[in-house]
This record gives sequence, structure tokens and C-alpha cells, in this order.
Amino acid sequence: MNAKANKNQSSCIEPSYYQAVTQAIRTQAVQVLKDGTVAGVVGYLPGRRKGTARPALITTPEEAEKLIFSPACVNNLSVYLTKSKKGVLKQGRIGIVAKGCDMRALAGLMGESQIKREDLFIIAVDCAGVYGSRAERSESVTEANIARKCHECTVHHPEGADFVAGAATELSGLTPLEAEEMARIEALPQAERWAFWKEHFSRCIRCMACRQVCPFCYCEQCLCDKNRPQAVENSPRPAGNTAWHIVRAMHLAGRCGGCAECERVCPMDIPLNLLNRRMAKELKELYDYEAGLAPAEKGPLNQYKEDDDQSFIK
Amino acid sequence: MPQIITEQNLRNLIDLLVKESKVVVGPKQADSVVLYQPLAAGSELTLDSLPRRSAKELFFPICENILSYQRLDGKMQVTDVDRSRFPETVLIGAPPCDAASPAILDAVFSWDYNDEFYLERRRKSTIVGIACTQGDDACFCTAVGLAPDTDTGSDLFLTPLKDGSYACKAVTEKGKALVDAHARLFGEAASADAAPFAEQGTEKLDLVKIKKWLEGHFEDPLWEKISDICVGCGSCAFICPACHCFDINDEGSTEQGSRRKHWDACGFSKFTNHASGHNPRDVQNKRYRNRIMHKFKYYDDKFGRTLCTGCGRCVRACPVGIDIAEILSTINAKQD
Amino acid sequence: MGEGAIGNAYGHFPPPPPPPPQGGRELRHERESMCQSNNIYLPNLATIEAIVDETPDVRTLRLVFQDEQVRENFSFRAGQFAEYSAFGAGESTFCIASAPTRKGYIECCFRSVGRVTESLRRLEVGDTIGVRGPYGNSFPIEQFFGKSLVFIAGGIALPPLRTVIWNCLDLRDKFKDITIVYGARSEADLVYKRELAEWQQRDDVRLVKCVDPGGNGPDFDGKVGFVPNVLEEAAPSSENTVALVCGPPIMIKFTLPVLERLGFADDHIYTTLENRMKCGVGKCGRCNVGNVYVCKDGPVFTAGEVKAMSQEF
Repeated sequence: MNAKANKNQSSCIEPSYYQAVTQAIRTQAVQVLKDGTVAGVVGYLPGRRKGTARPALITTPEEAEKLIFSPACVNNLSVYLTKSKKGVLKQGRIGIVAKGCDMRALAGLMGESQIKREDLFIIAVDCAGVYGSRAERSESVTEANIARKCHECTVHHPEGADFVAGAATELSGLTPLEAEEMARIEALPQAERWAFWKEHFSRCIRCMACRQVCPFCYCEQCLCDKNRPQAVENSPRPAGNTAWHIVRAMHLAGRCGGCAECERVCPMDIPLNLLNRRMAKELKELYDYEAGLAPAEKGPLNQYKEDDDQSFIK
Repeated sequence: MPQIITEQNLRNLIDLLVKESKVVVGPKQADSVVLYQPLAAGSELTLDSLPRRSAKELFFPICENILSYQRLDGKMQVTDVDRSRFPETVLIGAPPCDAASPAILDAVFSWDYNDEFYLERRRKSTIVGIACTQGDDACFCTAVGLAPDTDTGSDLFLTPLKDGSYACKAVTEKGKALVDAHARLFGEAASADAAPFAEQGTEKLDLVKIKKWLEGHFEDPLWEKISDICVGCGSCAFICPACHCFDINDEGSTEQGSRRKHWDACGFSKFTNHASGHNPRDVQNKRYRNRIMHKFKYYDDKFGRTLCTGCGRCVRACPVGIDIAEILSTINAKQD
Repeated sequence: MGEGAIGNAYGHFPPPPPPPPQGGRELRHERESMCQSNNIYLPNLATIEAIVDETPDVRTLRLVFQDEQVRENFSFRAGQFAEYSAFGAGESTFCIASAPTRKGYIECCFRSVGRVTESLRRLEVGDTIGVRGPYGNSFPIEQFFGKSLVFIAGGIALPPLRTVIWNCLDLRDKFKDITIVYGARSEADLVYKRELAEWQQRDDVRLVKCVDPGGNGPDFDGKVGFVPNVLEEAAPSSENTVALVCGPPIMIKFTLPVLERLGFADDHIYTTLENRMKCGVGKCGRCNVGNVYVCKDGPVFTAGEVKAMSQEF
């Protein structure tokens, strides 16, 4: 049902592609709302400012006519399905617009029994990429303004959706910026690597945007909010900030679907997805496991097998 | 002819102030972001983008010790923070939306009880504001009564001129003293053509009308409509030049440690949670309503000021694109 | 930073600045106690002199200020609150539960439900805690002179009224009839049991004690029923009478209509609000109900004032 065959490569994605996807989403959303398949659709509406978009919870066909998909549709909307955040699912079956990277989160949440497949109508987007967080919001998407995560996207053509909008053209010849940055940091001597993260964490203001947008941060009582006993310092100081980000990275290991929302929303530009990717790499090497490819009941870190790799015990 | 200072002399002024052991804070590149940070030299000043966090942290830091405690020979001792050691500080390069905020916050930190942590820093600081030439479509200072060339809150105000230098206006005695002490760096202007000021993305708002609407619409479908997508993080509050809510926490053991005052945000679900578990603002739209009410009604009720400078930071930073300027326009357009 | 242990220094704040330019209710009275340091967040140190367990999870601490000057000069009015700190855990807000007419000590009463209260509970006689305050407004007791008083309290909310009750009992001849209606979920949950017995003995106080149905043991000598119903049954006269109500929101909600039926006007009904607070001095921005700061404009309000507020409790 996806368009794997269609692998046109180009150096620029034209606005017309996003317009076509928009039209397909609208048609589909209107239909499932009209025929009662879903009680609502989580999608994107245009923002006030030119070239922006925002999430929207839509319940009428009239509103669905205004849905869009543009390079500004960066949000991973699956966050609205978890009960600790928004819990829109209590309204009945919900339609959700999802890019390939967002669908990995949906798969993960299904695996963790947070949502059920039958409660969703997934309107997937065959996605060529979205804007980087502070990119120039020009009309077309190019290597210059595409998000860093999109440089290494492996899920342009999502599978397992109820409907797929568009058949994407991928940008050609993208540099794997994040992989390069990871390699660079890993090659640093330990002290410099520590200095790199220390510098970044010192800027953290503990606004918790990283946690609040994360589909997997659905704990109703976050360790970081606990004070009896207190695990992580409450006040925004480098030590507590570091503890928080390490705890979070560990808790997401084997779960994070790589949507990089945490990094996108960080007002202090802390490259949080590097941590997530590093953990993912570890999981891949240790357990040959990749999160979010398909709903898995138990990730490698929540089960015990006798033949588990134990080489990390030193 | 007005006084001017060339860009080079502005940087020289920073060097001189640093030599005088003053702390000079200005926009400075820190990795990919620009932040207000202490400048080691004039060359570090960057004036081409709005710092990611506002200048309020000079007076109201993200986190500060307000006392320390230690048990000595079985007896608890509490030690005050020596505020006389707060350094003389010059803030250079704050656009009007940042320069104006301390003047707004003075009210809350000095009514009835004086928060000397804030006030001592205020007394020891001089603010050199600069007219803004680089707004974007998130800016709305003109909508809330400021403008790219408003000198409110500045002690000395600089206006960029077309020739690259800055026209200087001493707004307060502090500003005049700064100019007088370094008079040789300031010259007379040959011409005083101001560079074009920043353009604004929104129309002017009628704050009185907005407040009146808020008074009558504590309960209104609007609140749910605008905040149903809010995920409850604190980024809007933390980077805001006017948000002043804070938390007080002890960090340490029962034997020794410190008590810290640090930023808090009304969007957090636990902000008003009672020990009993009861929460007066139990859902996000009540919390978001408080944010708008506090800024455009409550603060005005109490202190006669609007708790917003229109810097647009929250508009740019909101993870889910909630746009306060758009909300204000919506309210402004309402007939009842 | 932070040289010079000033420990339990105590003296006077600079005079309060003039009232805010616009709005802002008048403070009901001036603050009296003040500190040498101008750090408004600095607590005075106090020693726990006595501990009384009121119920399995409610505890009273009797506190004596360590500094002699503070001990002598600390004064407050019934209804005011303070910030009590367990060092290492933080601060918590409770009313001052003892009467201002009893000098030399103060008492606080709390249920152990959070980080700070649990830490306070771990402290023993002789240990040190921090106290900032007194803060907020108070019950205008002088205005009650010559009137009858009806106190209505539920559960852990007796302490804010107990300060007034003793204050008034210590000035007994200034008031006419004094009625106390106090209820809790069960006998075990009634706080100040010894004082309840004392009030019951007195012939110048009418105590109506009750517990929720099912909360009474075989020997319970009070009434069985919910506070609003028991109040209606007790039917104190509203003539020249002030009612002081304190309790959980649900109790308040059902008590106010009863008082109305009994003929109490809104401005003759007083209550105290409790909201989560941190600073206690009108800065930290979390105790507000609409534009009313509970820490500064309250915690004592008349029913009329409460009704005029944005309904966000």
C-alpha cells in the first residue's frame, strides 16, 4: 500500500507536492468524519504567521476542510493520544495525521499498550521532509531548510496506515548531519565529550518542553517531579539538569522512535536527539533491536533472556 | 545635534567597563543560540538577533540561593546571602521589549514586601537599550503599547543610524552618568538619519478593551479552544521577559544545604496543586486562562501595568504553535 | 556569597512602600514583626517545645523562637499564617494555630501529606525549624466585640478557627454567645480532643460536636451527621452574630446555604482560604484566585468577598 517503488530523487520539493498531500488529507478526513468512522481527527491547521502550522483537534467536516500538510507540520501528533498529555482517545476512534517518523511512535505506544490500533484511523503522509526548527520558511524544501532528522529518514513511505496521502519525492544527496555529529562527538576524548554535554546542559532551563512533547513521556508521575524521595534536583542547576537528561535518555532507550521532537522544541537548542540516537545505537548493537518498526509487546530492556548479551558487565 | 557613539566605540566602552570591574552583560553567541551573557570584551557583543532568553534573568536569575543552612555542633545555623556583593552591572544591547520588562517587574518585587534579591540587582544595574531594527512576524511590541524605538526602562538609549553609529539619549541620571564618565567615546552627530525600525506582524491592540472582555469572560469557550493543544511545558513562561512566577525549594540534606528560588511556570500541572491533591487549576485550559488573565488583567488590576512586552518569544518557542498575538487579536475583535 | 551567620537575627523591615498604584485591596492591618536582614525569605529559627498527635496523621508542634528578642516581640493576629521550614525539605504554609493572646510560643498543626510535612513529622522535641511570618490578613476580632459568634469547622480545618476561638475565649466578656460546630469524618479524625472536652465543660461555650455517619464509636457523645445538617439542626441565631466557617470545599459549599437560611448576611460570614503558596508575600504568583492574592489579600475573606471572586478554587 505504500509507494516504495516511487523513489524519485530531487534537489527541491515543490509546494505543489504539499498541496496535493493537503488535498488528499482533507478528502480523507472529511470522509471519515462524515461517515462516522472517527469521532475526531488530530491534524494540522495553518498558523497565523506565514509558513507555520499548528496541531489541531478537529471534530467536524467543515474544520477538516481547513487541514493542511506543509513543511511546517513538524509536530508528532501522537503525543495527543497518551492519557497523561491530552488523552483525546476517550472520545472514541480517532483519526491522526502521521508522518513516517510519527508512526514509529504510534507503533511504540501500541506495543506499550497505551493505544490500540483499532482505536486509530491513521492518515499517513508519504513525507519528503519538514522544516528544521529555525529554518527559513521558504516555500519549497531544500537541503538548506530541511530538518536534521529528515536527512537520515528511513521512513519516507510509511507502512501499515489506513490511508496514505501522497507519493513522495525524496531529496537527493542529503548529508547525514546527525550521524556525522555523533561520530564527531564519539571520537572526542572523554573529557571533551563531557565538556560538550556540560555546556549544553548548563543552558537547560528545565521548561520540560522535551518531556511534554514526547509521546513516550507518558508517566503520570514523572521521576523528575517526585520529591518523596527526591531523585533529581528540582531547581535548574547544571547537576540536576544533567541528571534529568541522562535519566530521560535511559528511560527512552529502546523506546524512542526518533521523531526528535524533544530536540526541535528545546528553546535552548540542546541536541537531545543525539542522546536518543546514541542509546538506539547501543540497543541495535546489543540486541539487534530497533524501536518502533512494529508494535512489540516487550522491548529488550523490559524483558530478560538467558542468552542476553552481558558484555556490558565489566 | 544629538550625541552619537560609533559601533567601535560602543565595543570600546564595553572593554573600558570591564576594566573598571563592572559586569557587562549583552547578547552573545553561545553555540547556536544568542543569550544575554557576561561579555569579556566588546568584540563579543552581537546585535543581530534577539537573545533566546529575555534579560529578566539579570535581576531574576533562573535559580539562586536565598539562604544556606548548616547544622554546627548540633545547632542549626541559617546564613543569609550577602547581597552587597552583587556586582555593578551594565546591560548593553537590550531591545525595547527587553529593556522595558524590569520596569514592569519592579512593581511585583517591591509591593508591600521588598524582594531585595531582585531590587539590589536593579539598583546596581544600568540598562543601555537599543532601538530594534530586526523584528519578525512573531513580534508584537506595538500591539501592547511599546515600539521598536521606545526608551521605556532604558537608562541610556541607542538608536542605530544609517551610517552604522548610534544616536544616544540619556533617559535617566544613571544613563547620563554612564555617558559623562566616558565622554570621550561619544561624539556629535553630523547627521542623524535613523536606520529603519523593525516592522510588526500585528495590528495595534486595545488593551483596555481586551481587559474589559477578560473581566466578563472568566468562563468562555475560547479558553478551551485556544489551549486544547497546549502540552503544558514551561517554555513560554521561562523565556518571557515578564513572567515572574517562581518556586522555592531546599536542595541538600537535613544537615546542610541551600534554599533556592527558581523560575516556575503556571502552565505546569502541579503549579497550584494542593498537598491534599486538590488542584484549583486542574486542567490545561484553566492554566492557560491564568496565563492570559495574569498578563492582561490581574497584573493591571494590581499594578496598573500589562505583563507583556510583545517580544514574541513565546510565539516563536511554543512547541505547538500557540500564538498569543493571535489570541489577543481574537479577543480584540470580539464585540461582547 | 553568603558570609556572616545571622541565624536568628530579628528586628525591623524597612517601612512598607506605599500601596500599589492601582487596584489592590487595602491591607487589613499593618505588619508588626520584622527581621533585621532585609531578606524576606529568611526564616526565624524556632525550637520544637512540645509535640501533640491530634489524630494518627495530624500533629501539633509548639514552637519557641530561639532568639530572645523574637520571642518577646513576635506578635500576630488570629487568622494569619506562616511559612514553616524543615531544613532540607523546604517550606510549607499553615495558619498559626495558637491564640495571639497566649504569648511566648506559637503552634502549628498539620497533616502529614507531602515532602515538607513528612519531614516536619520526623522532627523531635528540641529540634529546630524555620518560621517566616506572620503573613496575610486576619479576622477583625475588634469588630466582633459585643456580638455572638458561631464557629463552624470540619476536619483538619479547626486550627485556623481554634486561634480565634481561644482569642475570643481569652476575652470572653467582650462577646455574647459562643457556639462551636465541629465535625470530622470519624471520632479519630477530630483534632484538639482535649480542648473539645474543655469547651464542652465550659458553660459559656456551646459545643456541637459531630462525626459523619459510620464514623462514631459506641461511646461517642456527640452528634452523628454532616456539619451542614448538624448546623441547621443546632440553628444558632443570626441576630447580631458573626459566623466563622472553615473546612473542605465541599463542606463550605453546603454550609453557606444553611447559614443563609439561618439569616446570616454574606458580610457576617467569614472564612479563610487555603491555596498552594510558596513565597507567602505576593510575589511567586500561584495562590491567586482571579486577581485576588490569597497570601496578601487574604487568607481571611467574607462570604461576600468569596462570591465576588473568579470561581477558581
